[in-house]
Amino acid sequence: MKRGLFSAMLLGLAMALLLTACGGDTASAPAGDGVTLTVLGKKTDLEKSYMTRVFDLYEQATGNRLEIRSYEDSDFETAAAKDFADGKAPDIFLHFHNADLNRFDVAENFLTLNDEPWVEDLTDGALAYCQDGRGDLLGLPFWENSVSGCYYNKTLLDSLGLLPAANQTEFDMLCQALAETGYTPICWPANGCSWMIQFALDPVFADQPELLEKLNSRQIAYADIPQVTDMVQWVADAADKGWFGGSFLQTGWDEISPALASGEAVMALIWDTWFYTDLEQDGQYTLDDFALMPVFMGTAENGTYEGGNLNMMMVNKNGAHVDEALAFLRFCATPENYNAAFDGISTVSCFKGQTTNIQSGMVTDAAASIAANERVSTAASRIVGYSSDDVAAAFEALLSGRTDVSGCVGLLDEYRLAEIEAQSAADQP
Amino acid sequence: MKKWYKKLLTPVLLCAVMAAAVAIGAVYFGFISKRIDEDSAVHLQEIYGQVNNSFGSFVDRNWGLLNEWGRRFELAEGLDRASVTAMVDQERERWGFSEFYFLSADGIGMTPAGEKSGMDLCGSGDGQSPREPVMAGQTLPSGQEMVVFAAPVASGEYDGFGFDAIAVSYTSADLAQSLNVDAFSGKANCFVIDDEGGVLLSTRTGGNVFRNYLSYLRAASDLTERELADIQADWAAGTSGLVRCRIGDVVSCILYQPVGYQDFVLLSAVPQSAVSAGFLSVQRTTVAVLVIIFLLVGAAAIGLLLLRGQRLSRKNQTELQYRERMFDVLSSTVDDIFLMLDTGEYRVDYVSPNIERLLGIRVEDARADIRVMEKCTIRDNVIIPREELDSIPLNGNKYWECEYRHQGTGEGRWYRMTLYRMSIQDVEKYIIVLSDRTLEQRMNQQLQDALNAAQSANEAKSNFLSNMSHDIRTPMNAIVGFSLLLEKEADDPEKVREYTRKITASSHHLLSLINDVLDMSKIESGKTSLNVDRFSLPELLEELSIILLPQAKAKDQTFTIHVQGAPPEQILGDKLRLNQILINLLSNAIKYTPEGGRIEFLVCEVDHSAQSQYVKLRFVVRDNGIGMSEQFQREVFAPFSREINSVTNKIQGTGLGMAITKNLVDLMGGVIQVESKLGQGSAFTVELTFALPEQEEKDTWYRQKITRMLVVDDEEEICLDIRELMRGTGVDVSIRTDGAAAVEAAVQAHRNGSDFHVILLDWKMPGMDGVQTARAIREKVGRHVPILVLTSYDWSDIEAQARDAGIDAFMPKPFFASTFWQTIKPLFTREESRPVEAALPAENVLAGRLFLVAEDNEMNAEILTEVLSMEGARCEVAVNGRQAVEMFEASQPGRYDMILMDVQMPVMNGYEATRAIRASAHPEAASIPIVAMTANTFAEDVRNAMDAGMDAHLAKPIDLDAMRQIVGRLLAPGAGADDDKGDSIS
Repeated sequence: MKRGLFSAMLLGLAMALLLTACGGDTASAPAGDGVTLTVLGKKTDLEKSYMTRVFDLYEQATGNRLEIRSYEDSDFETAAAKDFADGKAPDIFLHFHNADLNRFDVAENFLTLNDEPWVEDLTDGALAYCQDGRGDLLGLPFWENSVSGCYYNKTLLDSLGLLPAANQTEFDMLCQALAETGYTPICWPANGCSWMIQFALDPVFADQPELLEKLNSRQIAYADIPQVTDMVQWVADAADKGWFGGSFLQTGWDEISPALASGEAVMALIWDTWFYTDLEQDGQYTLDDFALMPVFMGTAENGTYEGGNLNMMMVNKNGAHVDEALAFLRFCATPENYNAAFDGISTVSCFKGQTTNIQSGMVTDAAASIAANERVSTAASRIVGYSSDDVAAAFEALLSGRTDVSGCVGLLDEYRLAEIEAQSAADQP
Repeated sequence: MKKWYKKLLTPVLLCAVMAAAVAIGAVYFGFISKRIDEDSAVHLQEIYGQVNNSFGSFVDRNWGLLNEWGRRFELAEGLDRASVTAMVDQERERWGFSEFYFLSADGIGMTPAGEKSGMDLCGSGDGQSPREPVMAGQTLPSGQEMVVFAAPVASGEYDGFGFDAIAVSYTSADLAQSLNVDAFSGKANCFVIDDEGGVLLSTRTGGNVFRNYLSYLRAASDLTERELADIQADWAAGTSGLVRCRIGDVVSCILYQPVGYQDFVLLSAVPQSAVSAGFLSVQRTTVAVLVIIFLLVGAAAIGLLLLRGQRLSRKNQTELQYRERMFDVLSSTVDDIFLMLDTGEYRVDYVSPNIERLLGIRVEDARADIRVMEKCTIRDNVIIPREELDSIPLNGNKYWECEYRHQGTGEGRWYRMTLYRMSIQDVEKYIIVLSDRTLEQRMNQQLQDALNAAQSANEAKSNFLSNMSHDIRTPMNAIVGFSLLLEKEADDPEKVREYTRKITASSHHLLSLINDVLDMSKIESGKTSLNVDRFSLPELLEELSIILLPQAKAKDQTFTIHVQGAPPEQILGDKLRLNQILINLLSNAIKYTPEGGRIEFLVCEVDHSAQSQYVKLRFVVRDNGIGMSEQFQREVFAPFSREINSVTNKIQGTGLGMAITKNLVDLMGGVIQVESKLGQGSAFTVELTFALPEQEEKDTWYRQKITRMLVVDDEEEICLDIRELMRGTGVDVSIRTDGAAAVEAAVQAHRNGSDFHVILLDWKMPGMDGVQTARAIREKVGRHVPILVLTSYDWSDIEAQARDAGIDAFMPKPFFASTFWQTIKPLFTREESRPVEAALPAENVLAGRLFLVAEDNEMNAEILTEVLSMEGARCEVAVNGRQAVEMFEASQPGRYDMILMDVQMPVMNGYEATRAIRASAHPEAASIPIVAMTANTFAEDVRNAMDAGMDAHLAKPIDLDAMRQIVGRLLAPGAGADDDKGDSIS
């Protein structure tokens, strides 16, 4: 799904480039007698169907107008920050809860929404995603959601007389048992992919936010966090034991689907929507053959799931229409409105009352486990300087034998710090 | 073949021993492994038998517990939650189960806390409660796998929930903990499975991922379907079994035993390595110990071998070093160079250090590239042609003689290069030995030279003997022949005189031949010595002129003597030998110069300073005769050498003259050189150094008031020589080159009142000769000026005419101041001058004389008697020295005029007799002239004669003229016995 999302974003970007010139773009709001709220977000985000649906529903229902301001994705962070600095901050600001949000002085500019009535309706994962380190809710998650975990071929596993793992020990036992049957236990796309790593890092930083703060403030490095080393060690051991198969260094995004569909590989660390968008439909095994269990990579005994990266709506506390903005959020969080907006959208629910979306049976079957072990996507979005490319490079060095475990951890630190320096340099006027 | 066998024997034996050890080991360890497998199986069965028993006990206890609880519940009057909960909690602590359930008849289970769940314990799917104790797997709503033990009890009710059975559940972790199965270090999987392979529980700590182990074995093991079916049949039949199979890459033991409850089977899967670990440990230990022992023994053996080898190697190394050192020392002391070359690349493996000494090549340079030796080659640019090297067979050798030049000194040396090709430890090598043969070569060369010289000398002597045979026979033939003719023609006085003259000439030639042979023999034997005494160089030249001028005149040759510079007149040397040298050279010049030719004799001073006590004189004899070939010039001083050509064949000679001359020059420390061109003439140059006597006073000219003189010679060079010779005398020398000019000069001087004090005229001049010039001067000037004639010719024929013309005296060329003074001195002292005549023998000098002749040879005595008789003299003969002495002592004073003393005589030789006479009391013992008359003609003989007290020496055969001269001199009025002592005439 993420790849599909990325493709959709590219397509949208291309279309936007065709339709508009570079720079900001302001969509016309319907005329009326109500208040006009300004909404600022990435151009492609604001063009999502469920977004436009809820915007339309709002304007129709309230008579207020929404002034939609957007920037190209590549310019968004800088341009939006400039708007805030220039006193042109919107009433409602759409942003992923990632490290870039720190550029907008959250405490000064946005309301905390802990007391909003719709908070109780949020799923645990969605709620957690939108909270800051102190537990304050920063925005309303209104976005496509997904669950990333260890998706396995339950049909194959059943035929082999094996059970899914419930803990790290069993997972290792399962991998070994699968390896003994001749199947590749885990499809590991080491060639340019690294999201598996962020799955493993989520529980480290989600469970211990102080580590994240120290890491981002450079008080510590990856090397100072034992779980990071444990995770790298597990990856190295798994590769040595053949759990990734024999050609994992050549395995990339494109090889995941054939491997799972053919039954060559039994498990993959992926997300649910990937099965709708990328799994070969004419393979030996299809969507119904798969089930979900947590990711076990040495960082959480009972495993972990990663929740989706959600776009959230935040209210400018310094705006002219704070109340109207809060009302807009409540409008969006109303079950009939979000069900209308997400009707037919394949997504994991962000709201407990969400019923019209299409949710995977795999996720539903694992709901209890997900509820127990889901973590907010923390690593990729909140570690300053985190780069999936850098992480992939560091692990490629490890798995190709060019470095050892400690060397790999060192490379993770080295690349991350270099990325920070690069970002700082880019931010210099 | 034998070497090959011996070389391979040891490794083959070692290999055989090792192979035997390995084979024994393999058999042994195969047996051990089999026993280990068997024992492991028994061991495994024992372990899991105990596990099975424990599990059975565990099951029994649970069912016992449930029965007990059933009875307790049955007896209880109502079950309240608190008491039940307390009891369950208490028992949970004791038994370790997870949960307790009341089971209703419809298969619903309820915990003491009131939580309900459906439980299908009978496997029928209809949810009935068990009617007998059962053990079943159960998956909780949370997904957790549980094992449930249930037993029927009396119907009852708990908290409104009717039940007829009760149950307890265990998680796998609980069971594992309860069963406490931890065999094989956690590597074993132990399951309780049903007869379909479904896993009821796993004793593995940490969890279980196996749902159906039969399915897993089908997928993961190498068991066939038939084998799997057999196994499953065993399970169904309640039969135990043990199979080994490969699961993945691991060989595992699958042991199954019926539990005894329902159809459950206790199955354990253990890696074979874990099962046999203990045995394998023992086996490994045993192997390790054996290997260690084997290695230790082997190491010890190898160590011993190495030690022995090391010792042997060290010993060999030491011996090698000794040998190398000794070889280096040896090679440094000999003149043989040793090299070892690789046959392939000609790389130098060894070179002896003496190569630097012998060839001037550094050892390291030779080691680096053998071709460095090419610099030493003299004739060839390569040391050894490669094809020559390659042509040497293995174990063969070749040798060459070669000459190398020492790079340091440039000295050429001869070597014999011997090259061996041999195999050293299967590697072919060239060994080169360069043996210095320089001394041998030189010795051979010297021997060859000596041989050539000997052959040449032999050839020369053969030639000489041949020549001598011819030369001796020729005069002897003449003597014999003319003697016969003389006898026949005794009545014809003319023929008698003619024959007698020819016999005399032949005799003289034969005599000279014998003299030369004897002289050469004497010189070669090293018995010749020099008799150094003061003599006058002018006198020597005068004597030479006297001797040689007639010979030149006889061949109508021009013979001139030039004196250049002012050589000292008195010198110290062996006049006799110098005379001999110069006569040889001059007589040869005359002999080998055709009639009408020219012979020049030049004397000059080469090196003399006023302070020096020595003078080096150069004597040059130059002719325009037949000359010599270049080849003969190189041999001219060799004895018995004569150039053979049409001219020389007609000239008598012994071939010894130049050899004698050369030896005499060498004896006197001088050098002799020859320049000659065939047909153009020759020039012999002799340079000799003489000591000088103390100088005499030379101002006598001035005291005699001789200050001006006129020299007249058509050869101006001679005039200038005379002027040069007169320098230092204070006499002004005027020169004229013809007679008329001389007359004019004399007249003019006379008119000026400054007459010349003496006039010296050449005899033969174009125009007015010397006599005519003298006559003219006398006519115009008068007779008061002495006029002398300087001539190279015999003036006896013109003497009367010359004196008539007014010539006062004659002087022989060359001009010497001393001779000149001696000649003119009487003229100025007004004494009658007979300068020349005095030297000439009187015609009747022998007439009336009485000689005492000591001669042991009767014939010689008779000849002498007859000769003297013919001259009007008489003699008395003594037959030995003693008799001569006696006769002299017995004689009256004045009886004998002279004693002619032979030297070699019996009783008393001539020397002893002379000494006896001189020592006698006879009044004339000291004054009586004694003349040696002997065949001993060498200078030593002359000197011995003089030393013995004799006054002169006459060589036999007696030359009558020589005798006349000596007698005339010794018996001349006023002549003392000491005057001119030492004259020798042969």
